[in-house]
This record gives sequence, C-alpha cells and structure tokens, in this order.
Amino acid sequence: MATPLPQNHRRWMLLLVAAQMLFLLAVAAAGYATTAYGRVVTLRTLPIDPRDLLYGDYVRLNYTISQVPTSLWQESVLPRRRQAVYVVLRPAGEAYEAVRVYAQEPTELPTDQIVLRGWIEDRYRRSLHIRYNLERYYVPEGKSKELERKGRKHPMLVHVSIAPWGQARITDAQVLP
Amino acid sequence: MSRKFLETESPTWVEKGIITAEQQQRLLGLYPPDEKAIGLLPILGSLLVGLSALSLVAANWQGLPEFLRLAILLSALAGSYTAGEHFLRRGNTSLGIGLVGLGLILFGASIILVSQMYQLIGYDVTGLVAWSVAATGLTYLYRSRALFIMTVVISCIVQGYNTGQLGAFSYATAAFTAFTLGYYWWRNPDALLGMVLSVGLLWQAGLLVNYLHIKITWFFVGAMLIYTLGDWQTDRPAGRALQSPPIAAAFLFMLGLAVFGEAGSYTDILRPPLLAYLAALGAVFALSLVAKRKRGRLGGATDWLLLLPGFYLPGGLPLAIAALVVLYAYTGTLLWRAHQEQNPDRVTLGTVLFILTTAVAYFKLTWGFMDKSLFFLLGGVLLLGLSWYLQRRAARTLAASESTEKPRS
Repeated sequence: MATPLPQNHRRWMLLLVAAQMLFLLAVAAAGYATTAYGRVVTLRTLPIDPRDLLYGDYVRLNYTISQVPTSLWQESVLPRRRQAVYVVLRPAGEAYEAVRVYAQEPTELPTDQIVLRGWIEDRYRRSLHIRYNLERYYVPEGKSKELERKGRKHPMLVHVSIAPWGQARITDAQVLP
Repeated sequence: MSRKFLETESPTWVEKGIITAEQQQRLLGLYPPDEKAIGLLPILGSLLVGLSALSLVAANWQGLPEFLRLAILLSALAGSYTAGEHFLRRGNTSLGIGLVGLGLILFGASIILVSQMYQLIGYDVTGLVAWSVAATGLTYLYRSRALFIMTVVISCIVQGYNTGQLGAFSYATAAFTAFTLGYYWWRNPDALLGMVLSVGLLWQAGLLVNYLHIKITWFFVGAMLIYTLGDWQTDRPAGRALQSPPIAAAFLFMLGLAVFGEAGSYTDILRPPLLAYLAALGAVFALSLVAKRKRGRLGGATDWLLLLPGFYLPGGLPLAIAALVVLYAYTGTLLWRAHQEQNPDRVTLGTVLFILTTAVAYFKLTWGFMDKSLFFLLGGVLLLGLSWYLQRRAARTLAASESTEKPRS
C-alpha cells in the first residue's frame, strides 16, 4: 500500500464496522419484530417438489394464492407486470384464500381479513400470477428429513407472520399427508 | 530492483571494482529486507485451528440457538476487521488487507445467513446492496487495489443475484458502483483497476439489457460510454485499459456477426429503432470526439469504426459482408496507425486481428464455392503470405523506430 492512510482512518473504520454490525442486527430485529407484532395466517401451497433439496437448502413454494382469477382485481385498468398489489385474504377452512386484489392498500377491512403485499409476476387472460417474496422456504434439518421420507410431491401448510407495516415472513411450515 | 538481486549480484561488482564495499552496503541499505512478522508455521497452525472451529460451527449450525448464531457471525466479523487493522498497523500489508477482505466476505455471508435464519431472503434487494456499499467504503478507507477489485466483483455478484434470483435490476447498485468506483479510478488512475472496473460495468450493462428485454445492440451505447470515460482520463495507460474491454466486446460482436450473421434468424434482436439508436450512439461519439480533440488524440477515433451499424442490412450474405467491411476498416486502420506510431505492441495486436479477420472472411466467402482441399490450400497460402508480409513490415517499422531513437540516446 503506497498511499498513507488518512488521518482519521481509525474513526472511519470503527464507524464502518459498527454500521455493518448494526445492519445485521437490524435484519435480525426485523425478523423478530415481524413475528412478535405480526398476525399469523396459514397459506396452502400446491404440491412441492422435494427434489429442490438436492440442489439447495430451500424448496420453492407455489401457493394457492399465487394464481388468482382476474375477476378479483378491483381496479378498472389491468395491472402491469412488476406492479405492487395488495391481496386481501380471508380464512377459508384450514388456510386463507384471496378474496380481492387492489392497486392501493385498502384501509377499512373486516376483522377476519388481512392484507398481504405482492407483485404481479405475469398476467394471463383469466388469472394474475402474483409473487409474494415468500416463495422460498429454507428447510430446517428435521423437516428436510421428513420431506425426503415422504418422497413424492406433497402440499404444505405454511404459517406466515404479517407485520402491521406490511413485512411478511414464514415462521413455520408443515407437510400435509 | 529487488534486494535479492542486489545481494547476489553486488559481490561481483565489488570484485570487478565497479563499486566499493562501502557503496555496496549503502546500496543494500536502500532496500531494507521485508518485515517478516510472521513465520509460515504459525499461519498454517492457526489456519488449521480456524478450520476445525469452522467445521464445528457449520456441522451444528442448525442446532444452535438463534442468538448464538448471530453472536458468532458478529464476533467473527468484528474479529477479522480488528485483526486486519492490527496487522496493517504493524506494517504487514498483505496479511492485513487479506483479513479486511475476509471481514468483507463474512459480512456478505452473514447477510445471507441471517436472512435465511428468519426466512427473509428474497424480501428485497437492500441486504445485498448494503454489501456492495460496505465494500466501497472499505476501498476508500484503505485505498487498496485488492479491495477495489473485490468491490467490483461483489457488485457484479449482487447484480447477478438480483436479476437471476429476484427478477429485479437494482439501478441503485449499478449507479452506486459506477459513480463511486469510477470516481476512485478517476482520481487514482491505474491500468489494472481500469480494466477490472470496465469489465464489471460491462457485465452490469449486459444484465440490464437482458433484464429490460431490449435489443442487444443497446449494450454498445453503454459500453461506448465507458470507452468515452477512458478518453477523458488524462493518464493514458489507465484510460487505454478502461477502453480495451468495450472495444474487445465490439470486435467480438462483429466477428460473431461475420461468422453467424447469415442465419438471419436472430437479426430481429439486433435492430433497435434506427433514429433513437443512432442519436444515442452519436451523442456518445460526440462526447468521445471532444475528449480525443482535447487530449490531442483524434487518430484514436478509428476505434469507432467498429460501431458502424452494419447490422441494419438485411440478414444473410449482405449482413456478413457488412460485418467484414467493418472489421477490415477497424483492423486496417489499427495496423496503419500502429506502423505510423511505430508502436511494437500495437503492431502485433493489429497483425493478429487482421489475420483473424482475413481467416473469417475467407472462410465465409469461399467455403461454399470451392472444393474443400483447394479451400484449405489456398487459405493456408493466403494466411502464410499475409503474415509474412505483415511481419516484414513490422520488422521494418521497428528497425526504423530504433534508428530514429539512436541519435537521441
């Protein structure tokens, strides 16, 4: 290193390292807070492929609400690709299902309903394909054994915690028989 | 001159009476031996201990409570930065920078591991953008070439992950990388860093073109913008290094068109709206010309011959021939300029490219019409003759340059 370090190098270095550590703590805190303050909803997936685990430590999830009929769309103009949308969910049996999709976050909702944010992945004539960024489940060790034992494709019930500020994360998942 | 060289050679100089023993000592004094703060064995030993700790943690990672995992990541991060700083202060630069680099890698790994722990990955791109911001900060703080290269690579990885896995292009990452690292390179011109930065930015431009699904030739507007930055740089070797990747990309693209252009099946991904494309490229060309004029290097404008949009011609033979004309125009002027400047490196480069172009042209234009053995015979003779002629010219140029330099020395 030919150039000498700047005068207040040590102070800047401390700041930079502290910022990195704070960032990691903030990510962890966001995770905790989403569980602590969030409302848990259960979503049902389409059968998942345990072979995903051969290539990585996560499985790709495709929810029943990943594909919603265009009739649920509440606005006059069809959404663009990658547009953010707000999906209203309502309990239906063991899992929540989508009832309406908005372009703006709806304010007044019945107490049994909840909003999940998503992004339009693709639109077809009859349906909208929505991505929630909940499509990857990093499978804990115990569960991956269970998945592998079942071998063939099975649907899953996924518990998702939705924080009041809109962030959502998977908290638990169970493999359906 | 290295100390080792002096140590082995200087006794002979003393023997021959070129320098005295005292002068030998003074010369040696100018090159103090490197501070070997750490022997090899302790390093290997600590590496093994570190590896065993790492494998212990990795094997039990899933079973550890979350706060402990977080604590391990944070202390490893802080530990390697502290150790790096410690060794840097003791003057052990390479080990110090290595440890700081390790800290940077640990930061990226921690972002991914913590996000996985809370199933947050894929939520958005911020996490990984923070990685490239931290890398840039370290580059500025330590003014280290190794960290600069790491930063370029990290932002390439971040952008690749964004487009590949998350299906989003992070304009923030691209702009941040271009401006902060570009500015760093601008103030500290360096050939190697210029080359690395240029390749990194080309990668980002390529990802953007792919992400936007626009015609691939738009890539060259971005590439030539990088090239133009090299024109404005006052440090010529650094500027040249920044310019060579875009020029290499343009050359390879034209060569590809010349070889495969006849198929015509993909020509529809080559043609952006003519006026918009020409206007954008023309604007960059003007910027480049202004810089070349200012720096008194207008001759270098021949690089732009490679950007002639021959791909607007209909697919098939016309397209291949247009590509060949562009290639010949470029390599021809490159050779001519190299002979004029009597620059041996560029004479060699020009010769190689000219022969390559001729080989492609010959292959393209005669394969269909000729008997195969005659094709190879004539091709061989053509190439041999061409290389003999070019070698002779090169030798003459070099001899001329030496004779003109002699009177001066």
